[in-house]
Amino acid sequence: MSDLSAPGFPEEEVRRRARAGAAEAFPPPGEYGRVLFGAEPGGGRQPDGERDPLDALRIVPPVFMPQRLARLIDLGREPDYRDVELATEIGGFSSTMPVYVSALGSTRAAGGDLGLALSRQAGALGLPMVIGENVVPVNGYGRLGEAADRALLGRLRAYAGELPDGQGGVAVQQSTEDADAEVWNLVYSDPAARPLLESGRLAFELKLGQGAKPGLGGMTVLDAEAAARLGDRYGLDEVFGDGRVLRSSTPGTFTAEILRQQIRLMRNNFPRARVWVKLHPGRDVAEAARVAAEAGADAVTVDGAEGGTGWAPGVFPAQVGLPLAECLRRLGAAGAPPCLLVSGRIWEGGRAVKSLALGARAVGLGRAALLAAAEDPQAGLIRFAECLALEIRLLVSALGKYAPTALDREDVWSRDFPGIPVTG
Amino acid sequence: MTTDGPTAFAPIPDPGRHLTAPTTRSALRIQHQLLSAAREFLREQGFTELLPPIIGPVTDPGSRGSKQVDVDFYGHRYKLMTSAILYKQASLLAFDKIFCIAPNVRLEPLETAGTNRHLAEFHQLDVEVAGATRDDAVRLVEELVVHMVDSALRELPKEFAGLGRDTGAFTELLKGSFGRMRHAEAVAELQGLGHPQSPDAELDWAGEALLSAQRDRPFFVTDYPKGSRGFYDREDPEQPGLLRNFDLIAAEGYGELCSGSQRTNDYAEIVTRIRETGENPQKYRWYLDLVREGVPGSAGFGIGVERLTRYVAGLDAVWQAAAFPKVAGVVSP
Repeated sequence: MSDLSAPGFPEEEVRRRARAGAAEAFPPPGEYGRVLFGAEPGGGRQPDGERDPLDALRIVPPVFMPQRLARLIDLGREPDYRDVELATEIGGFSSTMPVYVSALGSTRAAGGDLGLALSRQAGALGLPMVIGENVVPVNGYGRLGEAADRALLGRLRAYAGELPDGQGGVAVQQSTEDADAEVWNLVYSDPAARPLLESGRLAFELKLGQGAKPGLGGMTVLDAEAAARLGDRYGLDEVFGDGRVLRSSTPGTFTAEILRQQIRLMRNNFPRARVWVKLHPGRDVAEAARVAAEAGADAVTVDGAEGGTGWAPGVFPAQVGLPLAECLRRLGAAGAPPCLLVSGRIWEGGRAVKSLALGARAVGLGRAALLAAAEDPQAGLIRFAECLALEIRLLVSALGKYAPTALDREDVWSRDFPGIPVTG
Repeated sequence: MTTDGPTAFAPIPDPGRHLTAPTTRSALRIQHQLLSAAREFLREQGFTELLPPIIGPVTDPGSRGSKQVDVDFYGHRYKLMTSAILYKQASLLAFDKIFCIAPNVRLEPLETAGTNRHLAEFHQLDVEVAGATRDDAVRLVEELVVHMVDSALRELPKEFAGLGRDTGAFTELLKGSFGRMRHAEAVAELQGLGHPQSPDAELDWAGEALLSAQRDRPFFVTDYPKGSRGFYDREDPEQPGLLRNFDLIAAEGYGELCSGSQRTNDYAEIVTRIRETGENPQKYRWYLDLVREGVPGSAGFGIGVERLTRYVAGLDAVWQAAAFPKVAGVVSP
């Protein structure tokens, strides 16, 4: 090594790349399956001091509260936060609160007992849950001798087994490799899914992308044995040089017409399932959401650049994709779809209420749900949701409103966020 | 008239009782005669009969929620054929006019168990003609079906009598010239009858039966919207969004007998349309390589053998027209 230096330049990062090559484009592979990734506040792995624009918004209760008066008249007493009704409709399902559990795919972090613990608790809470892409092609469906806990069937049963009557529902994601495995057809014709189908609590989610890596497909790290098993279905790249390989899904090619026709196909082929569509935070997210809604999607999910638990090249969370706040601004300006679901570093009531005020019907829990279930596989997510529900009730009540759907853009303010109108 | 509601499902008897039942024997004799007549007709028209493959790396993508069956082919995931369509197009590299009687397996969704019109394993009389248009295919189906039914009626009067089938029901059919209506007209008629038919979708089973019950001869429904059918149906350049395809629907409430279309043989259009069905074109490599090198433009169709038999024999359910019926979700030999 020479004694050359470059003060002020990211010298050490350059030197690491010179030593390790392509592996340096990714987080350390040893962290795979143990660390939940995602953008850091400020939008980068190198925080630049800029605040996340959604965090920077303030929730602004008014002084005069006609909706509180209406609630007072209804109740015949002064209402308080306990009178906020959180139950809502999410993509055709009834949910106990404006919250759903985001897609967790085939990544190791969501596999095994943790995936099952999460499914059980989401079911018990009556929250809609998305089962992520690539679970079937990687872990199997669960009817042909695969380990049922890792397979899709295990999660489906764990969820449905705890689900109260009339509540919740499962959205099963499908992307390109899942289409090869016919995931939707498998679920639609499976006797285990029939109670969900017959009670209107099954949806299929068409995945166009994800917040952590817009424009890329799913990525995981595999050992050599697993890589050999999946090599005919996925792109494999030996970037790490230690036997472990990068496994990439194809993101799928979309145009407005391809999206429109795929949704039409879903409605035609699976008439008794709801249709959900998940978008990455692309610059044309509002246009894509409009196409999806017009084609008949029951819900459109938008993952902000802060979203995602999975493995992603470092440059993506740091520099790629629109922040959730900007997605909400663009969607609002264009006229948000009737049932907009959003996710991206949601873990407490503030970001949730701000998202609802900016046009979302519900917010998704990804990393928060996994961490909560990991903290206590029996009741971690249940207790976490109790806290979140209380916080949302307090905030909604403070705004003089008593249902999440009553929130609107006048309930938030920011000096630094153009596009959010300043009212009053 | 038959009904097509899920409540009409009757249990299938065990194989011994089913095979020895007079109804089964008559139905299978009629089926045999229908196929013999079809072979005779098509050979006279210059068609070559090919034996279709039953497994391959890819098959017709599932539709209406039916699932494909995977088999392990020396470590590769192969599919049981759900339709001979891709192989029919490829076969035109050998002959200009081909037909085959192809077995197909589709794991239909469980709700089809009670429709009386679905089998998980069935046979299709598949026909493909190079250089033909949709209208050529429609005329060919018409002549073929008239010939098949006429032959069965002439050769097997006792079987029809034994089944109690009123052969007067075919008076209009035997005159040829089946009815024709466009998909949009069918949708309008159904909506007018209070049936909530989507204008974007294939006619649903109840809708088909409703239209079928009101007619005394088979009829064609043409011009289905893009997105309701497979990627291989040609889009009409003069009517974007509509496909040059058709279904043949029986009279008396028996529903669909046959689907067909003019095919697209344009490589870029096929790849794009495959994406519109959510699939990875890589799966279709061998087929796409052939198309890229050039396969003839063509039109063709597939007649459901058990469905046609059911209609001609006047049976309550399509499984009665199969020696070893497989109904969705019913474990049977």
